[in-house]
Amino acid sequence: MALRRILVKDKIDQFIRIRLIKRLNKFDEIYLRMAALKTISTTKHLIFKPKIHLFSPFIQLNGMSQYPHYYIEPICRKEDQKELEKTGEISKYAHLPTKAAFSDHTCSSKHDPLVSLFTNYVMKSGKKSLARDLLEKTFEKVKRIQLERFHKTKNEEDKNNIELNPKVIFYKAVENSKPLLQLTGIKRGGVKYQVPVPITDKRSQFISMKWLIEAAKEKDRTVKFADQLAKELIDAANNSGRVIKKKQDLHKQCEANRAYAHYRWS
Amino acid sequence: MLKSTVDLLTRTSNFKKISCKRLSTVAQLKSNEKLDGFRTVQEDPLKHNSEHLAQFYTLSTSEKNCLFQHGGLPKSFEIQTKTFNETSFMIREPAIEIINYLKAIDYSKPPVKFVLFGKKGTGKTLSLAHILHYAVRDNFLIVHVPWVGNWMRRPKEFSNSDIKEGFVDINIDAAAWLLHFKVQNAVLLQKPEMRLLEAVQWNSRESTAKDVPLVDLIDHGINRIKFASRCVNILAEQVKGLSKIGVCKTLVAVDGFNAFFYPNIKVYTDKKEKVTPGKVTVTEGFLNLTKFDWHNSAIVVTVDELVIAQEDQISHYPRYLLGKTGFEHLDPFVPVHVTNYTKKELISTLDYYRERRWITSYPGQDDELYSLSAGNPYNLMKLCNGL
Repeated sequence: MALRRILVKDKIDQFIRIRLIKRLNKFDEIYLRMAALKTISTTKHLIFKPKIHLFSPFIQLNGMSQYPHYYIEPICRKEDQKELEKTGEISKYAHLPTKAAFSDHTCSSKHDPLVSLFTNYVMKSGKKSLARDLLEKTFEKVKRIQLERFHKTKNEEDKNNIELNPKVIFYKAVENSKPLLQLTGIKRGGVKYQVPVPITDKRSQFISMKWLIEAAKEKDRTVKFADQLAKELIDAANNSGRVIKKKQDLHKQCEANRAYAHYRWS
Repeated sequence: MLKSTVDLLTRTSNFKKISCKRLSTVAQLKSNEKLDGFRTVQEDPLKHNSEHLAQFYTLSTSEKNCLFQHGGLPKSFEIQTKTFNETSFMIREPAIEIINYLKAIDYSKPPVKFVLFGKKGTGKTLSLAHILHYAVRDNFLIVHVPWVGNWMRRPKEFSNSDIKEGFVDINIDAAAWLLHFKVQNAVLLQKPEMRLLEAVQWNSRESTAKDVPLVDLIDHGINRIKFASRCVNILAEQVKGLSKIGVCKTLVAVDGFNAFFYPNIKVYTDKKEKVTPGKVTVTEGFLNLTKFDWHNSAIVVTVDELVIAQEDQISHYPRYLLGKTGFEHLDPFVPVHVTNYTKKELISTLDYYRERRWITSYPGQDDELYSLSAGNPYNLMKLCNGL
C-alpha cells in the first residue's frame, strides 16, 4: 500500500507509527488469511516488505463505518483527557483525525457502560428516552423494595446485609444469570441434534440480559414493566427466580446432551 | 353514589378507631435523634426561625394523620415518606417568612392575605404544609383545601343545584372535604363554644337548629351528601361568624386558588353544558372566606400552574394565573416567592437522601446534580430516583 511506504519514508512521529503498525498488522492478518499464506511475519518485516500488490486495493478496510480506517476513537471522559494533558501525550492526538463522539457518550460519573448497553437492549424502534426512563424507574423500584425490607428488619446485622445500591444489584443479576454453555443445532445423518457448545463471555452476557428482559415482559397487563424488571433483578441477584431457573434448565439440557458433544468437531 | 357514601363513612369510622393508637407511637420516633447539619431536633414549628433554614425536621405520625390524612401532600412526596419511613419537611425561607408574619399580625384587623407563587415543583404545597403544621400548633382553626384542581378539573360527580338556579353541585368532593375539615380540626371542634350561630333549613322536613355543635352541621353534610355543597358554604359563613365574635382564630389555606378563576373547567350541568367556576356552588364559600369583611383570621393561598390546562401554562406569576377578577378579589396581598433550592438547601437535601440511604454518593455528585436539576426540587427528586 502506498500509504505505508510514505509513512516509513518520512519517518513520522514514533507514536503514529506504533499506532499504524498495530492497525496495519490487523489488516495484514486479514490479507494473509485471504491469500492462504501460511507464515505470519513480524511487524517490522511486514512494514518493510509488504506483499500488498497481490491483492485488490479496493477492499474496504473499515467494514460499514463511514469513517476511513485511520480515524481514531474519541476520548470523551474528562478525567482521561486531563491525564493525557498531564503526561503531555495530548499533543500527539492534536492533529489526528478523530471520530465524532456518540450522542450518549458522557463524562458523568453516573454513566455506566453496562447499564447503557442494557438500555439499548430494552429499546424498541429507537425510542431511547423511553428505554432510559424505564430503566431509571426500575432502579427506583429496586431501591424502594430494598429500603422497605431494610426498615422492616430489626436486626442490625441483617440490615447491613441488604444491598441498597441498584447498580450493584443489576451487576449481580446479570452476572448470576449468565449461562456457561449453549445448545446449537447440528445436522448429522438427517437428524438435527442439540449439541452443547462453549459460549463466549460477550454472548453469555447478551443472553443473560435478554432473559432478564424476557422475564420482565412475561407479566399481567396491569403490572408495569419497570416494576416486574425490578423484581426479576432482585431475584436474580439473590440467585433465585425465573431467570436463574432458565439458566439451570439450559445447563441441565446441556448435561443431558453431552453425548452429542463430539458432533462439534466430527 | 351510594358506594362512595359507604366509602366515606368507613373512612370516618376507621379514623375514630385508630387515632388513639397512633398517638402512642410518637415516643418511638423521637428516641432516634440525629444531630447532623442537615437535620434539626426542633420539631415545634412555633420555634422555627431563620437559624433553622435548610434543615429538616420530622413530623410525628399522629400529627401527619391529623393534618394530611385526606390529602394535602403531593403524591410523589407521599411515596417518598413511605420509603423513608418518616415525614420530614425542609425548613425554607417562604414558610419561615409567613410564620413570622403570622406571629406578628394584629388579628383585630381584617385578614392579611399571602399568596405563595413560584415555578412548578419548587415546593409551594410543602411550604403550605409547614405553615399548616405551625397553625395547628398555634391553635388556629384550619380551613384547608388540599387541591382545588381536583374539584374543577376532575370532579367525582356533578349535579344541578336544587336551590340556586344555574349552579352546579360537586357533592361527593364537598362531603370528602367536610370530612377533611372535621379530621383536621377534631380537637377544636370539641370546644363547647363552637356552635351554630343561626338555624339552617335544609328543606321542608330537615333542619338544623341554632346553637347545636358545629360538628352536627358537618355530620349532616357528610351523611346527607345531597346537601354537602350547600353545607360547605354554610360552614364557611359560620366560621367567619365565629371568628368575628372571637371564639377561634382561623387560617384559610387554599392550594391552587387560581382554579376558582380559570374558565376552562370540566364541570358540566345536567344538560352537558360547560360552566364557569363561579357557577360551582362551593366556589362561593371559599371566595366568601377570602374577603376582607371579617377579622381574627389569616389567609394563605397558593397559585399554581398545574391547576390549569396544560396549553395555558404560560406564566407562574399571580397576575396571569388569577386573571383580572381573581387578582382584584385578592388585592391587596403579600406575594411570597417560592424559589428553587439554593446550593446550601440542595446539599442539605442530598445529605438527607444519603442518610436515608436513598442515593449512593460518587465524587462530584453535588455539583453535577445541581447543574442538572437547576436547583429545582422536583427535578432533583426525579434525578435522584434512578441513582
